[in-house]
Amino acid sequence: MTFFKNHKKQSPDEQGEAPQNGGRNLCILGIGALIVAIITTSISLKIYHDTGDVYLDRSRPGFISDEEKHQTEENIKETFSEDGEIDAKVLDEYLQKLEQMRKKSDDYIKDFTTNPLSDDQLGIEATDESEDSSEVEDQV
Amino acid sequence: MTKKRNIFRIFAGFLAFFVAAFQLNLTFAKTEQAKLDKIQQNCSSIKIQLSQIQKNDTKNRVQLGSYFESINTDLMLNLNLRLVKNNITNPELTSLQSDFASERERFKNDYIGYSQELESLLKIDCKADPTNFAKHLNKTRTKRDAVYESIERLNELLDKHAATVKDLKETL
Repeated sequence: MTFFKNHKKQSPDEQGEAPQNGGRNLCILGIGALIVAIITTSISLKIYHDTGDVYLDRSRPGFISDEEKHQTEENIKETFSEDGEIDAKVLDEYLQKLEQMRKKSDDYIKDFTTNPLSDDQLGIEATDESEDSSEVEDQV
Repeated sequence: MTKKRNIFRIFAGFLAFFVAAFQLNLTFAKTEQAKLDKIQQNCSSIKIQLSQIQKNDTKNRVQLGSYFESINTDLMLNLNLRLVKNNITNPELTSLQSDFASERERFKNDYIGYSQELESLLKIDCKADPTNFAKHLNKTRTKRDAVYESIERLNELLDKHAATVKDLKETL
């Protein structure tokens, strides 16, 4: 009973004072919004990275230069209409277009055939020191 | 006497085998150690090379991905649609186009796997931890091989597709 009495006495409304929590609440709201934004952005970036979209997203800044992007769009122009007759001549044209596309892509395929990650290319090929020393001895 | 000699021969054979295996293991360990030493010594230049490879491969994948996508949608798919509109049925061409689309998806996923592995390789400090770096380097090589194998399968499908179109041309 004493507790309720005391509590009642300490209430600002009872004393006729206006609550002074507006600024504090606004701060809490701002910080809360910021925390939620940071968390959701982090989750989005994590998903973006983990799904591998980060490695395929051509619009990512610095991923591919505008010049290269333009070159790609310029090069890929071979199209075949889905409407029209089908005869030997049309199929010949189609095969030519297919061949042209394949020729253009060959340069990029060649780069994947080489093995730039080999020990030799990275300069970490282990050489037999004993063989080297015997060669030196032979020369002497 | 002959029995004893035979036992001796078998024993000598085993001994020779174990000595050879031990020698081979020792040579392999020496080579591995020499490789790890080189990784430690050339760490910064290896990192620069890897970054360059990452950049080149990114550019090549973008180009190849665009070509494969264009071949699939602008050529193969349109040809199949045109055949259907002309009441010509060729299930083989439809199947090849579907296989090509699936393989293109696999190429994309293989490339993502390779890129992730290469990126984690670049994060490893090769000076402080060359063993871990060498382990991840091998994994990255395997993933890059998978990308190339996928490209080869796509090329094989295109060969088959071209041959089927040629066959169709003969029948018209």
